Amino acid sequence: MDPLLYVLDLIVFIGIFGMVSLSLNLEFGFAGLANFGKVAFFLIGAYTYALLSQTGVPFYFCLIASAIVSAVFGLLISLPALRLRADYLAIAVLAFGEILRLIVKSEDWLAGGDWGVTVAPAISIAGASHRVDALINIGLVYFCLLICFLLIQLLANSPYGRAIRAIREDEVAAEVLGKDRAKFKAQALMLGSAMAGVAGGLYVQYQYSVLPGMFMPMITFTVWIMVLLGGPGNNWGVLLGATLVEVFERGTNIAKDYFVLPIDPSNLQYILFGALIIFVLLYRPQGLLKESTIRSKAQRLAYYGRRAAKSKGS
Amino acid sequence: MEDVLLRVKEVSKHFGGVYAVNGVSLDINHGGICGLVGPNGSGKTTLFNTILGLHKPDQGEIYFQNESISHLAPHKIYERGLVNAFQIPRLFYSLSVMDNMLVAARGQQGDRLFNSLFLRARWQEQEKGLIEQALDILELVELEPWAFTPAAELSGGQRKLLELGRALMAKPRLLLLDEPAAGINPVLGKKIFQKLQALSANGLALFVVEHRLEILFEFASWVYVMDKGTIAFAGHPQAIIDNPAFYAIYLGEE
Amino acid sequence: MTVNWIQVIFNSAVTGSLYLIGAVGLTLTYGLSKFPNFAHAELITLGAFIGYLVAEQLGLGLPLALLVSFLFTGIVGFLSCRGVFQPLAKRGSSIIHLMVASIALGFIFRHGIGAIWTWKPLYFTGIGSAFDLGPLRITHLWLWLIFAALALSLAMHFFLMYTKMGKAIRASSSNPDLALASGINVDRVIWVTWFIGAGLAAIAGVFRGADTQIWPMTGWDIILPIFAVAILGGIGNFYGAIAASFIIGLAENFGVVGLMAMGVSTTYRIGIAFFILIVTLIVKPQGLAMMFRRA
Repeated sequence: MDPLLYVLDLIVFIGIFGMVSLSLNLEFGFAGLANFGKVAFFLIGAYTYALLSQTGVPFYFCLIASAIVSAVFGLLISLPALRLRADYLAIAVLAFGEILRLIVKSEDWLAGGDWGVTVAPAISIAGASHRVDALINIGLVYFCLLICFLLIQLLANSPYGRAIRAIREDEVAAEVLGKDRAKFKAQALMLGSAMAGVAGGLYVQYQYSVLPGMFMPMITFTVWIMVLLGGPGNNWGVLLGATLVEVFERGTNIAKDYFVLPIDPSNLQYILFGALIIFVLLYRPQGLLKESTIRSKAQRLAYYGRRAAKSKGS
Repeated sequence: MEDVLLRVKEVSKHFGGVYAVNGVSLDINHGGICGLVGPNGSGKTTLFNTILGLHKPDQGEIYFQNESISHLAPHKIYERGLVNAFQIPRLFYSLSVMDNMLVAARGQQGDRLFNSLFLRARWQEQEKGLIEQALDILELVELEPWAFTPAAELSGGQRKLLELGRALMAKPRLLLLDEPAAGINPVLGKKIFQKLQALSANGLALFVVEHRLEILFEFASWVYVMDKGTIAFAGHPQAIIDNPAFYAIYLGEE
Repeated sequence: MTVNWIQVIFNSAVTGSLYLIGAVGLTLTYGLSKFPNFAHAELITLGAFIGYLVAEQLGLGLPLALLVSFLFTGIVGFLSCRGVFQPLAKRGSSIIHLMVASIALGFIFRHGIGAIWTWKPLYFTGIGSAFDLGPLRITHLWLWLIFAALALSLAMHFFLMYTKMGKAIRASSSNPDLALASGINVDRVIWVTWFIGAGLAAIAGVFRGADTQIWPMTGWDIILPIFAVAILGGIGNFYGAIAASFIIGLAENFGVVGLMAMGVSTTYRIGIAFFILIVTLIVKPQGLAMMFRRA
């Protein structure tokens, strides 16, 4: 394969999974909600986009629809999320994702069942080379990624971000201090699901198709690894995690062509993955980049203001 | 109804058939310090948690400023001005001391999703004022030098002080304090109570669980005595200390 | 549509037996160590492959395969606990971190197995074909599976009720602090539980592999129904798991009949267990635990 195209393709994937990682960072890193069904919202956004785009609706409406439909399901999940313990919720959402995949697999009339349907690219220029297509997608994906990043970064560094971190830390204390945990958790899940949905739409228009086999639980686990490795509660960290994991995945595939390895790279890759995660959990559970502190302008001013006054005094 | 700030009327709460709180009735007036004493296991903490909305009373009603709060969610009870400080501090340890204080502040514009994203100027203005308030309170509890350190780095006594400071930040009408001076050196503890007394003279009502009678004697105007989930008796601190039945309750537990 | 109801009931017993053997280990370790071990799926898979190694590659027959598989996988289960989960728990890892660690461990096992045996499906030979017994169409394997489930259940019952270690396991499950204070070596209890749980998973794996095929996803194919059994029966509750496995076995097999009658695709069969799982978690997360003595 054309090496430049390979790199461009990698960049697109980093962008798409970067978005999904950011969404999990919002839900788990900031709000403390262990969403083990990420792939379900990715799937919902993907199928929404695919089916809507077939009717000729322009791509930006399709992406907005993906966001909205996924957000609705996110809201649905937030209801049991309030009452269930973290591990029970994780198992329930995992099962939910599998049921969705089972439905799209079995109901051929919905979206071609196992064989899926083709999806037209969002933006295409007649006669463009694969490289140009990839570049166009990079533009589109990273535009959406930028919006998501700004959204979550602004939220995190505001009283809202402070409130959801408080709920994550001790939801009883947060409640008695006036934070409506139901509202905050529902909003976090809706926003996170919307982002994952948009990422799903972008994914299938890039792959030109949507298939049930594209939405295995492995995707949820991969995104978790991206977040835990990069650093939950740190948006830059999570993007770093996404980059490293994608590069690692691609890297081991390429290595196959250049080195003779005793173990088939696809197996080796996951063995190393697994070992890496256990290593990170044992020795650096906070991830590569530590949780970001809340930096609002007012606080920074007060902090530096006091420092100056103190040093003047002494 | 009389002009009572908090009225607890025949409230009971049981867990699996065991009554932790059994038919408790009491009134708290506006302003002043009211004490709550009783041996361990007499139901004081459960009573507090029920008032705060963490438990729904199985029987009885709770009124705050003549409004029934028995079935309200805790965050709504906070909105009406009823705030507490836990016996074992429930701080947000991954946040700084200042952030802990700011979480407690009332009426923050930035708490709303839309506002936090798109009306940033509004809440940033507000935040400046809140930081000043927080620093004032931190000075009161002698934590001002640690304003921007992570809450996890505080010592046990300092955590208690932050727990109290955070509750004060919420500008309560009624403050429930569960052993506020436990684990704090006695000199500072007395100072804290003096400051609390000054605040209560300005309209803040305090309902305090405190084992040390000499403190209640000096600061409280009324004391309720709990035993085995019920109110055994109540009165001025002097009357309680003079009552032999009071000691019987504590000794009876051994 | 004529339905052979006796066949459906028999099939339910078969399904239930497999799920029971697979779920006992999961429910006990989940109850004791307080997190869901997703690598349990790979313990089932490992069991199937070790069984294949002994029975087919070494030609030593199925009974020996079951024994060796039980012991080997049991040790692997013990090592996962001792080498990965206990160290993590000591460092204060949350339930979620332990869950993720178990998923990661699952990757290692699954792809290690894939590396050694490749991903091509393998089959046990010498498994008899189906024959008719009255109105039933059965295989010897299925009869052995039901027998194994009964025998193992009885053995577990006696173990939990009448042996010192068994009683220690029950005590540690319901109140670890009290157990520790009473002088029970809780660590050893945990290790024995993980060993037995993994060993039983291996037996389930051998039967599953013999019944369908052996490949690195053997365990994962049935792990969600097994989770359903553990949760419906009440986590940590052995007797609940017995009831739950047969309830789900019946639900699945009668459900298939229902699906066919409604003209719905039978690939939804697995969905039945998922559905029960979700409903249990939402409506009554403790499952049937209230109905059964804690064990």
